[in-house]
Amino acid sequence: MTRDDYRDIELAQLRRLEFASFVEGTTLLLLLIIAVPLKHLYGWPTGVRIMGPVHGLGFCAYLWFVIQTVAGGDWRTREIARVMICAFIPFGAFFNRALLSRKMASIRNGRKS
Amino acid sequence: MNFAIYYPWLKALHVASALIFFGGVVSVGVFLHMVTNDSPGIRALAADIRRWDHIITTPSMLLVWALGLGIGGAGHWFNAPWLTVKLVFVVILSAVHGMQSGRLRRICQGASIRPLHTSLPVAVTCAVIIAILAVAKPF
Repeated sequence: MTRDDYRDIELAQLRRLEFASFVEGTTLLLLLIIAVPLKHLYGWPTGVRIMGPVHGLGFCAYLWFVIQTVAGGDWRTREIARVMICAFIPFGAFFNRALLSRKMASIRNGRKS
Repeated sequence: MNFAIYYPWLKALHVASALIFFGGVVSVGVFLHMVTNDSPGIRALAADIRRWDHIITTPSMLLVWALGLGIGGAGHWFNAPWLTVKLVFVVILSAVHGMQSGRLRRICQGASIRPLHTSLPVAVTCAVIIAILAVAKPF
Protein backbone atom coordinates (compact mmCIF):
# COMPACT_ATOMS: atom_id res chain seq x y z
CA MET A 1 0.00 0.00 0.00
CA THR A 2 1.58 3.27 -1.13
CA ARG A 3 0.89 6.77 0.16
CA ASP A 4 -0.94 7.50 -3.12
CA ASP A 5 -3.27 4.51 -2.55
CA TYR A 6 -3.97 5.77 0.96
CA ARG A 7 -4.83 9.24 -0.35
CA ASP A 8 -6.98 7.89 -3.17
CA ILE A 9 -9.02 5.80 -0.73
CA GLU A 10 -9.42 8.73 1.68
CA LEU A 11 -10.32 11.19 -1.10
CA ALA A 12 -12.91 8.76 -2.51
CA GLN A 13 -14.44 8.39 0.95
CA LEU A 14 -14.66 12.17 1.44
CA ARG A 15 -16.23 12.55 -2.01
CA ARG A 16 -18.88 9.96 -1.04
CA LEU A 17 -19.60 11.89 2.16
CA GLU A 18 -19.82 15.12 0.20
CA PHE A 19 -22.32 13.53 -2.19
CA ALA A 20 -24.40 12.09 0.69
CA SER A 21 -24.36 15.53 2.33
CA PHE A 22 -25.53 17.16 -0.92
CA VAL A 23 -28.36 14.61 -1.34
CA GLU A 24 -29.48 15.08 2.28
CA GLY A 25 -29.53 18.87 1.98
CA THR A 26 -31.20 18.89 -1.44
CA THR A 27 -33.99 16.45 -0.51
CA LEU A 28 -34.75 18.52 2.60
CA LEU A 29 -34.84 21.66 0.46
CA LEU A 30 -37.25 20.01 -2.02
CA LEU A 31 -39.41 18.79 0.86
CA LEU A 32 -39.62 22.11 2.70
CA ILE A 33 -39.70 24.54 -0.22
CA ILE A 34 -41.76 22.65 -2.78
CA ALA A 35 -43.62 19.65 -1.32
CA VAL A 36 -44.83 21.15 1.99
CA PRO A 37 -46.22 24.41 0.44
CA LEU A 38 -47.91 22.38 -2.31
CA LYS A 39 -49.62 20.29 0.37
CA HIS A 40 -50.75 23.13 2.62
CA LEU A 41 -51.50 25.83 0.03
CA TYR A 42 -52.84 23.75 -2.86
CA GLY A 43 -53.97 20.55 -1.10
CA TRP A 44 -51.61 18.31 -3.09
CA PRO A 45 -50.15 15.81 -0.57
CA THR A 46 -48.43 13.48 -3.08
CA GLY A 47 -45.20 15.52 -3.03
CA VAL A 48 -44.83 15.14 0.74
CA ARG A 49 -45.76 11.45 0.52
CA ILE A 50 -42.91 10.94 -1.94
CA MET A 51 -40.31 13.40 -0.65
CA GLY A 52 -40.79 12.50 3.04
CA PRO A 53 -39.45 8.93 2.77
CA VAL A 54 -36.85 10.00 0.14
CA HIS A 55 -35.45 12.59 2.56
CA GLY A 56 -35.66 10.06 5.42
CA LEU A 57 -33.52 7.69 3.38
CA GLY A 58 -31.09 10.49 2.45
CA PHE A 59 -30.80 11.50 6.11
CA CYS A 60 -30.08 7.93 7.26
CA ALA A 61 -27.57 7.42 4.43
CA TYR A 62 -25.78 10.68 5.32
CA LEU A 63 -25.47 9.70 8.99
CA TRP A 64 -24.19 6.28 7.97
CA PHE A 65 -21.53 7.81 5.68
CA VAL A 66 -20.48 10.14 8.53
CA ILE A 67 -19.98 7.13 10.83
CA GLN A 68 -18.10 5.23 8.12
CA THR A 69 -15.87 8.23 7.34
CA VAL A 70 -14.96 9.20 10.91
CA ALA A 71 -14.49 5.56 11.99
CA GLY A 72 -11.64 5.16 9.55
CA GLY A 73 -10.12 8.65 9.45
CA ASP A 74 -8.18 11.06 11.62
CA TRP A 75 -11.02 13.36 12.65
CA ARG A 76 -11.04 15.71 15.63
CA THR A 77 -13.95 15.46 18.08
CA ARG A 78 -15.03 18.99 17.11
CA GLU A 79 -15.18 18.06 13.42
CA ILE A 80 -17.18 14.88 14.16
CA ALA A 81 -19.63 16.89 16.30
CA ARG A 82 -19.95 19.46 13.52
CA VAL A 83 -20.83 17.00 10.74
CA MET A 84 -23.22 15.14 13.07
CA ILE A 85 -25.01 18.31 14.23
CA CYS A 86 -25.27 19.52 10.62
CA ALA A 87 -27.53 16.52 9.89
CA PHE A 88 -30.10 17.74 12.41
CA ILE A 89 -30.14 21.41 11.34
CA PRO A 90 -32.20 22.34 8.25
CA PHE A 91 -29.78 22.90 5.35
CA GLY A 92 -26.92 22.15 7.77
CA ALA A 93 -25.52 19.58 5.33
CA PHE A 94 -24.55 22.43 2.98
CA PHE A 95 -22.29 23.88 5.70
CA ASN A 96 -20.16 20.73 5.48
CA ARG A 97 -18.86 21.72 2.06
CA ALA A 98 -16.14 24.03 3.39
CA LEU A 99 -14.90 21.50 5.94
CA LEU A 100 -14.86 18.63 3.44
CA SER A 101 -13.16 20.77 0.76
CA ARG A 102 -10.48 21.75 3.29
CA LYS A 103 -9.92 18.13 4.27
CA MET A 104 -9.68 17.05 0.62
CA ALA A 105 -7.26 19.91 -0.14
CA SER A 106 -4.99 18.93 2.74
CA ILE A 107 -4.92 15.32 1.49
CA ARG A 108 -4.15 16.49 -2.07
CA ASN A 109 -1.40 18.86 -0.84
CA GLY A 110 0.09 16.00 1.12
CA ARG A 111 0.49 14.14 -2.15
CA LYS A 112 2.55 16.95 -3.69
CA SER A 113 4.94 17.26 -0.75
CA MET B 1 -52.11 2.75 -6.70
CA ASN B 2 -53.03 -0.27 -4.56
CA PHE B 3 -50.05 -1.05 -2.36
CA ALA B 4 -51.76 -4.13 -0.92
CA ILE B 5 -50.86 -6.06 -4.08
CA TYR B 6 -47.16 -5.24 -3.75
CA TYR B 7 -46.96 -5.48 0.05
CA PRO B 8 -45.88 -9.17 0.25
CA TRP B 9 -43.29 -8.58 -2.49
CA LEU B 10 -41.87 -5.51 -0.74
CA LYS B 11 -41.72 -7.51 2.49
CA ALA B 12 -40.01 -10.46 0.78
CA LEU B 13 -37.42 -8.17 -0.83
CA HIS B 14 -36.90 -6.39 2.52
CA VAL B 15 -36.20 -9.71 4.27
CA ALA B 16 -33.90 -10.89 1.43
CA SER B 17 -31.93 -7.61 1.55
CA ALA B 18 -31.74 -7.80 5.35
CA LEU B 19 -30.32 -11.34 5.16
CA ILE B 20 -27.65 -10.28 2.64
CA PHE B 21 -26.83 -7.16 4.71
CA PHE B 22 -26.56 -9.11 7.97
CA GLY B 23 -24.46 -11.79 6.25
CA GLY B 24 -22.02 -9.07 5.20
CA VAL B 25 -21.93 -7.56 8.72
CA VAL B 26 -21.23 -10.98 10.25
CA SER B 27 -18.46 -11.80 7.76
CA VAL B 28 -16.68 -8.47 8.34
CA GLY B 29 -17.28 -8.91 12.09
CA VAL B 30 -15.71 -12.38 12.08
CA PHE B 31 -12.73 -11.10 10.06
CA LEU B 32 -12.14 -8.14 12.40
CA HIS B 33 -12.60 -10.40 15.45
CA MET B 34 -10.20 -13.12 14.30
CA VAL B 35 -7.47 -11.10 12.62
CA THR B 36 -4.46 -10.63 14.90
CA ASN B 37 -1.31 -10.90 12.79
CA ASP B 38 -0.25 -8.77 9.86
CA SER B 39 0.66 -10.39 6.54
CA PRO B 40 0.25 -9.61 2.83
CA GLY B 41 -2.42 -12.35 2.67
CA ILE B 42 -4.46 -10.68 5.42
CA ARG B 43 -4.17 -7.29 3.66
CA ALA B 44 -5.32 -8.85 0.37
CA LEU B 45 -8.24 -10.55 2.15
CA ALA B 46 -9.19 -7.22 3.78
CA ALA B 47 -9.22 -5.57 0.33
CA ASP B 48 -11.48 -8.35 -1.05
CA ILE B 49 -13.85 -8.13 1.92
CA ARG B 50 -13.95 -4.34 1.52
CA ARG B 51 -14.85 -4.74 -2.16
CA TRP B 52 -17.72 -7.10 -1.22
CA ASP B 53 -18.80 -4.62 1.45
CA HIS B 54 -18.92 -1.83 -1.15
CA ILE B 55 -20.64 -3.75 -3.92
CA ILE B 56 -23.07 -5.97 -1.97
CA THR B 57 -23.41 -5.20 1.75
CA THR B 58 -23.77 -1.40 1.65
CA PRO B 59 -26.29 -1.35 -1.24
CA SER B 60 -28.24 -4.10 0.58
CA MET B 61 -28.34 -1.93 3.69
CA LEU B 62 -29.65 1.03 1.68
CA LEU B 63 -32.25 -1.26 0.08
CA VAL B 64 -33.30 -2.55 3.53
CA TRP B 65 -33.89 1.04 4.66
CA ALA B 66 -35.72 2.05 1.46
CA LEU B 67 -37.97 -1.01 1.47
CA GLY B 68 -38.50 -0.69 5.22
CA LEU B 69 -39.68 2.90 4.76
CA GLY B 70 -41.98 1.75 1.93
CA ILE B 71 -43.44 -1.12 3.99
CA GLY B 72 -43.86 1.08 7.08
CA GLY B 73 -45.70 3.68 5.03
CA ALA B 74 -47.81 1.25 3.00
CA GLY B 75 -48.77 -0.82 6.06
CA HIS B 76 -49.29 2.21 8.37
CA TRP B 77 -46.87 0.70 10.87
CA PHE B 78 -45.07 3.88 11.93
CA ASN B 79 -47.32 4.41 14.98
CA ALA B 80 -46.64 0.90 16.31
CA PRO B 81 -44.32 0.93 19.40
CA TRP B 82 -42.55 -2.28 18.35
CA LEU B 83 -41.42 -0.58 15.12
CA THR B 84 -39.97 2.40 17.01
CA VAL B 85 -37.94 0.03 19.20
CA LYS B 86 -36.95 -2.00 16.13
CA LEU B 87 -35.72 1.15 14.38
CA VAL B 88 -33.41 1.89 17.33
CA PHE B 89 -31.74 -1.50 16.88
CA VAL B 90 -31.63 -1.07 13.09
CA VAL B 91 -29.77 2.23 13.63
CA ILE B 92 -27.35 0.52 16.05
CA LEU B 93 -26.76 -2.33 13.57
CA SER B 94 -26.18 0.16 10.74
CA ALA B 95 -23.78 2.14 12.94
CA VAL B 96 -21.86 -1.06 13.74
CA HIS B 97 -21.58 -1.71 10.01
CA GLY B 98 -20.35 1.86 9.47
CA MET B 99 -17.64 1.36 12.11
CA GLN B 100 -16.62 -2.00 10.65
CA SER B 101 -16.46 -0.44 7.22
CA GLY B 102 -14.28 2.40 8.53
CA ARG B 103 -11.93 -0.07 10.25
CA LEU B 104 -11.65 -2.10 7.03
CA ARG B 105 -10.77 1.08 5.14
CA ARG B 106 -8.01 1.83 7.66
CA ILE B 107 -6.58 -1.65 7.22
CA CYS B 108 -6.66 -1.23 3.43
CA GLN B 109 -4.84 2.11 3.85
CA GLY B 110 -2.05 0.32 5.70
CA ALA B 111 -2.96 1.02 9.34
CA SER B 112 -1.76 -1.47 11.97
CA ILE B 113 -4.05 -4.46 12.40
CA ARG B 114 -5.92 -4.57 15.71
CA PRO B 115 -8.80 -6.98 16.34
CA LEU B 116 -12.27 -5.52 16.92
CA HIS B 117 -14.12 -7.74 19.38
CA THR B 118 -17.24 -5.71 20.12
CA SER B 119 -18.89 -5.48 16.70
CA LEU B 120 -19.87 -9.15 16.33
CA PRO B 121 -21.79 -9.63 19.64
CA VAL B 122 -23.51 -6.24 19.23
CA ALA B 123 -24.55 -7.08 15.65
CA VAL B 124 -25.85 -10.55 16.57
CA THR B 125 -27.79 -9.18 19.58
CA CYS B 126 -29.36 -6.48 17.38
CA ALA B 127 -30.33 -9.05 14.73
CA VAL B 128 -32.01 -11.32 17.30
CA ILE B 129 -34.00 -8.43 18.80
CA ILE B 130 -34.96 -7.11 15.33
CA ALA B 131 -36.17 -10.57 14.23
CA ILE B 132 -38.24 -11.05 17.42
CA LEU B 133 -39.82 -7.59 17.15
CA ALA B 134 -40.58 -7.93 13.43
CA VAL B 135 -42.14 -11.39 13.66
CA ALA B 136 -43.83 -11.40 17.10
CA LYS B 137 -44.75 -7.67 17.20
CA PRO B 138 -45.09 -7.98 21.01
CA PHE B 139 -46.36 -4.45 21.71
